[in-house]
Formats: sequence, C-alpha cells, structure tokens
Amino acid sequence: METPIPIRKIIHVDMDAFYASVEQLDNPDLMGKPIAVGGSSKRGVVSAASYEARKFGVRSAMSGVLARKLCDELIFVRPRFERYAEISKMIRKIFFEFTDLVEPLSLDEAYLDVTENKKGNPSATLIAKEIRQKIKEKTGLNASAGISINKFVAKVASDINKPNGQKTVPPEEVISFLETLDIKKFYGVGKVMKERMYRHGIFTGKDLKEKSFEYLEEHFGKSGAYYYNIVRGIQHSKVKPEHTRKSLAAERTFNENISSEVFMLEKLENIATEVARRLQKSKVAGKTITLKIKYSDFTLQTRSKTLPLYISSKDLILENVKDLLFQEKMKDSVRLLGISMSNLNNEAKKKEANPPPEQSIDVQLKLDF
Amino acid sequence: MKFIVSSSYLLKQLQVLGGIINNNNTLPILDNFLFELDKNSLKVSASDLETTITSKLNVESNEKGAVCIPARLLLDTLKTFPEQPLTFTVEDNHTVEISSSSGKYALAYADGEDFPNAIELKEPSATKIQGDILATAISKTIFAAGNDDLRPVMSGVFFQFSTEELTFVATDAHKLVKYTRSDVKASETAEFIMPKKPLNLLKGILAGSEEDITIEYNESNAKFTFENTEMVCRLIDGKYPNYEAVIPKENPNKLTIDRNQFLNSVRRVSIFSNKTTHQIRLKIAGAELNVSAEDIDYSNKADERLTCAYQGDDIQIGFNSRFLTEMLNNLTSDEVSLEMSLPNRAGILTPVDGLDEGEQVTMLVMPVMLNN
Repeated sequence: METPIPIRKIIHVDMDAFYASVEQLDNPDLMGKPIAVGGSSKRGVVSAASYEARKFGVRSAMSGVLARKLCDELIFVRPRFERYAEISKMIRKIFFEFTDLVEPLSLDEAYLDVTENKKGNPSATLIAKEIRQKIKEKTGLNASAGISINKFVAKVASDINKPNGQKTVPPEEVISFLETLDIKKFYGVGKVMKERMYRHGIFTGKDLKEKSFEYLEEHFGKSGAYYYNIVRGIQHSKVKPEHTRKSLAAERTFNENISSEVFMLEKLENIATEVARRLQKSKVAGKTITLKIKYSDFTLQTRSKTLPLYISSKDLILENVKDLLFQEKMKDSVRLLGISMSNLNNEAKKKEANPPPEQSIDVQLKLDF
Repeated sequence: MKFIVSSSYLLKQLQVLGGIINNNNTLPILDNFLFELDKNSLKVSASDLETTITSKLNVESNEKGAVCIPARLLLDTLKTFPEQPLTFTVEDNHTVEISSSSGKYALAYADGEDFPNAIELKEPSATKIQGDILATAISKTIFAAGNDDLRPVMSGVFFQFSTEELTFVATDAHKLVKYTRSDVKASETAEFIMPKKPLNLLKGILAGSEEDITIEYNESNAKFTFENTEMVCRLIDGKYPNYEAVIPKENPNKLTIDRNQFLNSVRRVSIFSNKTTHQIRLKIAGAELNVSAEDIDYSNKADERLTCAYQGDDIQIGFNSRFLTEMLNNLTSDEVSLEMSLPNRAGILTPVDGLDEGEQVTMLVMPVMLNN
C-alpha cells in the first residue's frame, strides 16, 4: 500500500562552481581558465574548482598537490569568504522576493518552498527559471535548479542539468525518476554507504525499493527507514527558514565518570575553548552562561548565571564556569559536562549599531535613555 | 506666460532650492521646480514632500501662470551661461522656450497644479533668531545626531525654546551635544525635533548671514522665513529622550588641555587602534595624559604622552577615537576640558575659551568599557 504523496513545490537552487565563478567574475583575467579556490600548499585543499578545471578531473575537497598534478596550468586563488557572503546575500534577497520559506544549506545553495509564493505563480518550473534569470542579472553568475515535490528529489534533480540548467520532476514522475536513479546519486549516500548498498545488491532506486522495510532497518539502521521512504517519494522534512540562534553550547561525555573537580576543570577548559570558538565563528557573544552536569545516575543539573556584559573569550567563559562549578558540592561522580551560552547579542549584530565585541569584552557604552 | 530674468541670479536661487530634490523620486513631479509667476514676482519651489522650499525672485513680466520645469535639465543649462538676461516663454506645445544670446532651448513642462502644495501652518508660534547663530547651532549639533531608523527621534536635532534661552540637542546615544544660547529668547516655551536634511540645507544658506530668520512652528511642522526664501518642513514625530538625566552632575576628575595638541595626538594614536572598535585608552596621572591604542590582530601599538592640567584621582578610560576626533574637531576653542567621574560614565567635553556671550556648548561621550 502506498502512502499518498503530499504535494509541495520545492525548488533546490545551487550556484554553479560558486566560489570559482565569483573569482572569475571579479577578475576577468581568470575567465575561461582552469582555476581552483583554495590552497596549493602541501596541506591545502581545493574548496571549489571552475568548470574548466573540472575537465581535468579537479574536484573540490581534493588536495592542492593532486589537483596541480592533474592540471598543469591550474591557477590557485585565495578564497575571499566575505565576498562570497556578500553575493550570497544578494541571491537570498532574490529568493525572498518569491517566498519566505527559504532554507539556506550553505552560501551557494538553498531550498525554497514555493507552494504558496508571493508572485502567485502556480508553476514552480517558471519560478525557478525566473529566479535563475534574476540571479544572472543581479550577480552575473549561473545557477542550476531542481524542482520537485520534496527536498530530496529537488536536490538530486538540480544536479542533472548542471551547469546553468534546471530539471523538473513532476509528481507523476517522481517514483520512476527515483527508481532509475543510481544509488550513489542519492543525497546522503557517500562512499561508505555506497559500498554497503552495493554489497546488498542495491545499485539503483529500483533495487532499493524491492527491499522490505524490515530488511533495510535491520541492515542500515535508522537510515534504512529513511531510504525506504525516500525511494517511495516520501519525505516530510519541511523547508525551514533560517532562524536566529538563541543559544550556543558544547558538551562532552567522558569515557569514565569523574569525581574530582580538578579533572572536571581540565575538561571544562576544553569545552570552553570549543564554545569560545563557536561564538567567535558566529560572531556573537553571550550574557548568560550555563553549566550542565549529568551525574553517573543520569540525573541532570544546570547552574547558570547572567553577567553584566557580553562575553565570548575562552578565559572569561572558563572563569565564570569555575564559579558555577564550585558553587556547590557535586552530588555524585559526573559522566557529562556542558557549557552553554545564551542571551546572545544577535540584535546588536543585526543592526551593526555597535561593532560586535572582538577578542575581548571591550564594550562601547551607551547613554541610558 | 513669459518673463525675463538674469541667468546668474536665477541660477544662484535654484542651486539653493535644488539641494532639497532627491536623486530618485517616487513621484516624478518632484524632479521639477515649480515656477509661479505673478507679474514682476516669480516664486520658485522645490520639494521632497517632507520639506518644501520657496524663493521669490524679481523678474520682468506682466503675465501670470504656473509651470513645473525639470530641475536637473534647467540647472545644467543655467550653469553654462555667462551672466545675461534669459527669456522664458511658455509655448502652446507644452514646452518652455528659453532664449539666450547664444540660442534657443525647449524643455517639456508639467502643469503647475500637478506640484504638491506646501503645507500651511495652522496657528503657529514664532521666534526670531539671527541666521548666523542658527547656522552655528546646527553645525555644532547635527554631527552628533543618529542614523538609527528604530529611534527616529534621535535622527534629528531637538529644538528647545524657552523665554530664557534657546537650546539645541543632538545625540545618537554614544555621544551628545547640547548647544545653548541665552542671548536669544523665545516668547513662549516650545519643543520640536527637526530632521537632518532641511537643517543641513539651512546651515549652508545661513552661514555668515546677519539677517534675522523667523521660525514658526506648531506640533507637526516648522517654517523658516528669511530674506526672500521660506522653508516649510515636517517635524519628526515623537518624544525626545530626557537628555538632562544622562548628563552626570558630579565629575570630580577634570582634565584641561590644548585642543589641537589633544586632537592631533588622538588622530595619530587612533591609526594604531583596532579597525572596528577604533578604541583608544586615556590614562591620566598627575599632570600627564597618556594616550595609547593597540590592535592585537596586527600587533600595532601606539603610545603618547602629553602634559595637561588635571585635578582628580588617577583614571584610566577608553573611548572610541572617532567620537573624540569628531567632537574635538567641531570645537573651535584653544583649550578644552574633559570632566569625568568613572570609567563607565560619560565624559563631558567643553570648550574653555572662545565662546560668545551667552553661548554654551556641552558635549558628552560615552566610554568604551576596557577589559583590563
């Protein structure tokens, strides 16, 4: 028995060789030449390759050394993430002209739910065309798109007519489209999963479909159930618009329970470093700091305090966490410790009214109106 | 409709009015000057809907009529003429013909009725002030006004009139300027918030003018009348923050220093400050002011020592150098004093000398909370 497929209209927009194309756009000398964005050094990795470079077999995530070996005239370009983010912003603005249901996956791709769109256009295919046209107009870059009834199929479809093309998989073709699809093209099937699927005789969507739910679950666990549904065109995952981060945390579970505070401090230092790194990455700072303690009997305790200032540096986090740790005696030995920062200064960041606190907590004060 | 006018006289007036015209208007009619002719008197207006400014010119004519003439086109043409009489003739085919000694030019015009009417002020109060004084009041304050759309009241300059003095205040919550003139008085108390754009225009027109300007105002609009020009503008709606409450009353630490020396030092040191925070550090002990900055990201560092007069406890306080430079630049005195209480309270910057009788300037700047 088949579950009815919920009909949504999802577009997956993917920029073609985004970083490399931006570099070629900004520097016309690179136009038509094989370029790789990333480092050419011993440990360098290609983060993006232009289509000219791909002809030589250069791929992203390839080591710089290997890429050079494949293509002699390959030009390495240092990545400029601010510039990519700037263009990404322009592209997202275009998306929002059509719908508010935009889920960005990275700087260069996003899912759009256009079932109900601002233009009242019933054809997702035409919308995708318009979006790609607008992107070309505004940024000069090419985008590809996949259009279908769920995120999974849309994502797979966007790869089909790449570069600078689009592919619609209408509801009635979804099942046959998935059946003929090579298993390694399934989003989420990487090198390891592919090998496992092959060993079970699964080479295409059709093979996958012939396996029973129980069989897949037994051999592939949770993802087995996921693929069982996916190949039947069932995916309920909604397009989730980007939301502002409310808190940021890191935690560690220990191999062995710890009872000494001295050891806990050592662990907390690692966790604080991680939290500080994440805060700085998101360019936010937090005012409220929470220490999470899970005891060996799995009971959970949280201790938190709110500071007068936004903090983001490791030292300050650790200093405050220390206070929380020594606030009262541990009830038992501890199996997990976590630090979370909330009350983040997202607003300030958005308005850019005052520059986000840098490495320290130097804060521009305001008159108290 | 036909009139004759001197080219440079017309250009001079139109350039002033042109300042109010936006570069991209949603209403195309606002790209025009409105010409209203009544025999020998020609009224020219320009508007951005918020502000309308009108000048009266003397011309040679005995006709009446009203037309809208494209501003850009007219200004560009007038700029090229050497001084000479120009004849404007409104033709039947919806064009205005200008004839000069060199030739003829035709511009399409729109009907005068299409131009939005200027706001009429109902039951206004009035105050007179010398043009130059108003220009000074504007230039002393306007730089401190904010740009935050979320607090529109702070994007303007607060006019506070009383029977004792006139006060002008601007703030963006980081810095604040209060400019008071006790030598000018209003007949009754009044308060309103003027947007920046018309003030900038007034500042330019009025600088150095010894003529009196009449300010009329009610709850929603203000009108400035001087010589042959009047400007009507919409006020910013809302309540101005209670700025008096944030001016610290007790400031035991007082630094007095040569303004130019201080300004140059801050400028130099700030080059070495962090590029986003522009933060510099003032350390004052005894009769020595230490100005320093550091950009940890680039290992840049600067440190200067200045002699000063200082009363109070040793203090260390951080400031955004851009605010300090702006404020020190705006002052004209030889010496300034900076009064402080605590490193997390506003510093009060005032000129020590060079003020007119009845003139008072108070500048507030909020510090940067230093990490160590």
